[in-house]
This record gives sequence, structure tokens and C-alpha cells, in this order.
Amino acid sequence: MQRKELWIAMALALAGALFWLAFFWEPAETGVGARAPILAQAPTAPAGGDFVLRSPSGPLSLSGYRGKVVLIYFGYTYCPDVCPTSLASIAQALSALTAAELAQVGGLFISLDPERDTMEALHAYAPFFHPAIIGMTGSPEQIAQVARQYGVRYMKRNSGGGAPYTIDHSTSIYVVARDGKLAAILPGDSTPQSLVGTLRELLAGAG
Amino acid sequence: MRSIVLISAAALLVGTALPLAAAESAITVSDPYVRLLPPGATTSAAYLLMKNSGAADRKLVKADSPVAQSIEVHEHRTDNGVMKMREVGSILIKAHAQTELKPGGYHLMLIGVKRPLAEGDSVAITLTFDDGSKQPIAALVRKVQTDMPAGMVMDHGAMKH
Repeated sequence: MQRKELWIAMALALAGALFWLAFFWEPAETGVGARAPILAQAPTAPAGGDFVLRSPSGPLSLSGYRGKVVLIYFGYTYCPDVCPTSLASIAQALSALTAAELAQVGGLFISLDPERDTMEALHAYAPFFHPAIIGMTGSPEQIAQVARQYGVRYMKRNSGGGAPYTIDHSTSIYVVARDGKLAAILPGDSTPQSLVGTLRELLAGAG
Repeated sequence: MRSIVLISAAALLVGTALPLAAAESAITVSDPYVRLLPPGATTSAAYLLMKNSGAADRKLVKADSPVAQSIEVHEHRTDNGVMKMREVGSILIKAHAQTELKPGGYHLMLIGVKRPLAEGDSVAITLTFDDGSKQPIAALVRKVQTDMPAGMVMDHGAMKH
């Protein structure tokens, strides 16, 4: 008799569990599925490639650097912390090169803030870190196009309280080889030593 | 009996010593500096190290300086490769611990810098903590560099010759 009651209890529990599974259980896959479009947009290797933007000495193209290794950083001059940190690291790497090496290397600082960053401001800003770094800007559409090519994401953010807006942005350092192809994407907090290592590796390569 | 008296005495001592210690700020600020930026730049950042020798957690809640229209207490966080700078209400300095404001992390963002800051200038900043205490500091303007062992890069170059 006792055994029979036990069976009934177990059957009821099983039925309850099945009922719950059938009507209330939402498998985790539903959540992943809902996010799938975002995952599909996850950046694969960006193509990089040529572009023409304004520089203090007129229009400047990346292809004009053919034969040189180029470091590119995207940022904005109102950026108080992250951009200067990366630019200082790039500057130290450039300073550590021999004169012969430096002659084969270029640095570009591309503004993600074409509205506020005037050519004059960029010209004061970029070479301040190292004379080989050139500030560049363009129309918002041109900047967006170059950012797309290199997989750079950026978004204006109003901080409120009358403070100037800031820009959330990718902080990678993009390294272009002598043939104009995007060769490496390095973290924005790369040490000068590691940048020098990458530069020398690419300088030693076919040119 | 004697031990009870001793314990009471000790408790009394601790009880009276604590308020005395609290009256003096338990926060020691060291190596405050402001990042040297190009002439014309109107935003910069200040960094410092705060040590809390007290028994209570403390929070930095505000900073002011006569050279900037305002100062915001910021942090950085990386979200899927995108660096996001956000204002935070406060920065915690745990009891008997320290918190560092440094490049790429917590920093004081100087907004609307009123005059050009040259290397070596001293910037007066007043820090306000959650207990209402204020601490004036003098931050030196300096060029921020990443630490690089002097020999390393040279050696690397020398190997190639």
C-alpha cells in the first residue's frame, strides 16, 4: 500500500515537472537567438585600405605613405585621458626608433569629432606628442567611412550639466604595412616597447 | 576582576582615541599631477594616489580647482573594445587601503581649463570627501609618459646592427 502511494506521488511530481517544462520553461537559446543579429555584426577582420582626409598641409592620402609603416589612432582632442595615453605611447615608440627607421614610419591621428576638432586644434594637438604624428579630419561622412573601413566604433555621449560631450570610441592602434595593407590592430594601452617591436618587424619585412 | 578593569580601560582609551583620529583626515594624498596637454586644450586630467589609514571607508565625492570651470570624477570601462568614460558619483578608498587615479582608469577630468598650463605649473585642487572633510592639494603639471626601461629599446636596436 505504501509503495503504491509512493508511485502515485512520483508520477504526480513527474507530471508537474513536465507541465512546467511545457508551459513555463524558456530555454536559454531564446535569449541567444534574440541577440543573434548583434553577434552577426561582430567585427571580423576590418579591411582597412586607402582614404583621403584633410591634414594641416592639405588633402592627405594613406597611399601617399606607400613604402612606409603607418600607425593610426582614432580619437578627439577633448579626450582628457585615453587618447593622450595612447598618443604618448606612440610618441615614445617613435622616439625610440633610429633616425633611419623613423624616416620610414608615419603617424596619423584621425579625429572622431569633426564638429569640434578644428584643423588648427588638431595641428596643435597631434605633433605635440611627436612631430611625426599628423592630425587629420574630414566631413562627418568621410570620418564615418574611414572608421567603417578600420572597424572603429564611436558614439557621441552627452554628459549633461553643461559639460562638453565626450565620445566613446575604439581605442586600438592600427598598424599599416609598407604595402598599404592593415597589418595589425594593437590595444590602445600597448607599451612603447611592444609598438617598437611591431614597427621593427614590419620595417624588416619586404618593402 | 583585574582583567575586566583592564578591558574597560582599554575600551575607554580606544573610545576616546577614535574620535581624535577621525578629526584628523585619515586620507593621505600623494603624487598628485595634471597631464600636460597641447596649448589650447581645454580639457585635461588629474591623477593621484589616496591612502586611507583610518578604520572607516572613505569616498572622494568632489573636486574643485580655480583653473577649471568644473572637475568631474571619472572612470573608464572597456565595453567590447570601446572605451567608455563615465562620471562616477564617488571613488571609494577602503579602510587601511589605497586607491589610485591613473591614466586609463579613475581620473579627475578638468573641464574648461581657464589658462594654458605649462610643464611644472602647480594646480590647486580641493578634494571633498563623504565625511565633509576637504583637502587642498597642489598638483604639478607634467608630461605623462609610459614607463619604458631605458636599456630595452636600445638593446633591441643594437642587436640588429
